[in-house]
Amino acid sequence: MLRLAKIHASYGSVRALDDVSLEVGEGQIVCLLGANGAGKTTTLNCISGLVSIPSGSITFDGEDITNAGAETVVAKGIVQVPEGREIFPTMSVEDNLILGAWLQKDRRAARQRLEHVYDMFPRLKERARQSAGTLSGGEQQMLMIGRALMARPKLMMLDEPSLGLSPLLVQQVFEIIKTIHAEGMPILLVEQNARLALNVSSYGYVLENGEIAFHGPAETLKQDQKINEAYLGV
Amino acid sequence: MILQATLSGIVMGCVYALIALSLVIIYKSTDVVNFAAGEFVMIAGYLGLLLLDHFGLNYPLMVVLTVTLMFAFGALFERTALNKIVGFKYAAEAALVPMVVATIGLSFMLKGAVRVIPSTEEVLRLPPLFSGPPVFFANIVLQRQDIGIVIVAVLVMIALTLGFNFTAIGKALRATSQNPRAAALIGIPVKRMRMMAWGLASGLAGISGILLSPKLLMTPDMGNVVMLGIAASIVGGFTSLVGCVIGGIVLGVVQNLIGIFVSPQAIAVTPFFIIMLVLVMRPNGLFGEAMRLKKV
Ligand SMILES: Nc1ncnc2c1ncn2[C@@H]1O[C@H](COP(=O)(O)OP(=O)(O)OP(=O)(O)O)[C@@H](O)[C@H]1O
Ligand SMILES: [Mg+2]
Repeated sequence: MLRLAKIHASYGSVRALDDVSLEVGEGQIVCLLGANGAGKTTTLNCISGLVSIPSGSITFDGEDITNAGAETVVAKGIVQVPEGREIFPTMSVEDNLILGAWLQKDRRAARQRLEHVYDMFPRLKERARQSAGTLSGGEQQMLMIGRALMARPKLMMLDEPSLGLSPLLVQQVFEIIKTIHAEGMPILLVEQNARLALNVSSYGYVLENGEIAFHGPAETLKQDQKINEAYLGV
Repeated sequence: MILQATLSGIVMGCVYALIALSLVIIYKSTDVVNFAAGEFVMIAGYLGLLLLDHFGLNYPLMVVLTVTLMFAFGALFERTALNKIVGFKYAAEAALVPMVVATIGLSFMLKGAVRVIPSTEEVLRLPPLFSGPPVFFANIVLQRQDIGIVIVAVLVMIALTLGFNFTAIGKALRATSQNPRAAALIGIPVKRMRMMAWGLASGLAGISGILLSPKLLMTPDMGNVVMLGIAASIVGGFTSLVGCVIGGIVLGVVQNLIGIFVSPQAIAVTPFFIIMLVLVMRPNGLFGEAMRLKKV
């Protein structure tokens, strides 16, 4: 469904990605693992059109979306939940969510979508009128996921959704990822928490210094000696 | 006397507030202080006069056309000059200084361009929106043009409040200014929004020019009024739109009172005095959010 073929990316003279190829199939959760600075966020930003790539290609649903620009990528159905707390802090929770449906022309459908998101995150409904900046870290993470869902994505990318959350909240976030996936959504999941990520994924890639060092079915990666040592702390 | 001075201070303050709003809208959406805002005010005044005298437009049409042209001009400047400086899209931080320098350059260019036109050597005057005999109110005299200024300014402020809080595009503008990355990731056209913010701010400067030109002497140096806009926005911490309005009005009134109680010569230094005072006492302004630290 989503295919990256030999993409390269650099920031000025700093090379960030080298010959990265990966694929996310229909209805799959695929995880992208790697240490700090390995290039995980850069990979997602190349897909989202925030970082342009000088060579290589990105296709989605058979269409070429290489360097298509952020707006087009969202319109095609790929939505990224970025790393950190990327919300609109002084706007209400509800406005944050509604903005997620910016490209949806059908306002009525967007309303229905909002109800759906509220069903999934009752906490956000309680906080609907509150400004988003006053939410807790976990609630802000939920808000970002909800906002992405408002765009009716065909594929979601999540960048370290467990970052900075307590173990209980991490569990909750992963439950939500599973719920979204159960509705048929393919997901590209970036994580440093390799064990958790591999548990929900069917396939995994490991980035090291901007290159794909290993990839394989999640079960295989979990067994792999080297990966165990480097990423699972065994 | 004091009441009269206060009222006329409020009138001028309304215009300062509009200039401050123009500055803050640009600052919030592109992190740039537009040092050419005063020249935008100035060229709008001359443009209005040109449309009235040379092209024989009627007043309302002149206002609409001037504001539209100013909108287009601001948007164009953002798209052609600033966007080139920003270069890659979301690394605007690195380009801040060149962008500010570009606005300073623009201010000199506009001033220079206007000076080339021979008729601008003499002091010109744009007719006011409303003219006619003053209105007496107990022992206060109200000029019709002043009433006009307050009405227009208040209408503009109401329109901005409604626009930013209740329309989809206004919310998208706010979202883009608060977090351009997140905005881009949900498909908001960030570049177009920045352009729109510049257009909107220039249109506001245009309205200020039309309101102000009948009251001040029109000269190519009239853009110095930007200092008053900056002072008003500083009171608002450069981020609060409400703060701009209050700041503008306070500034207008304080200026006039200082003119009475201290000396008319002291009026000119009032904005600088207020800027210093606010910066020393409350660096974030009276209404500002804490200054955002820039990631490097
Ligand atoms: N805007 C930027 N300008 C310059 N270099 C950058 C920029 N963003 C990332 N880099 C560099 O590119 C490399 C990859 O960064 P990236 O953010 O993709 O890593 P990551 O795998 O997401 O790391 P983390 O787990 O810490 O989020 C790093 O060496 C980083 O320093
Ligand atoms: Mg990252």
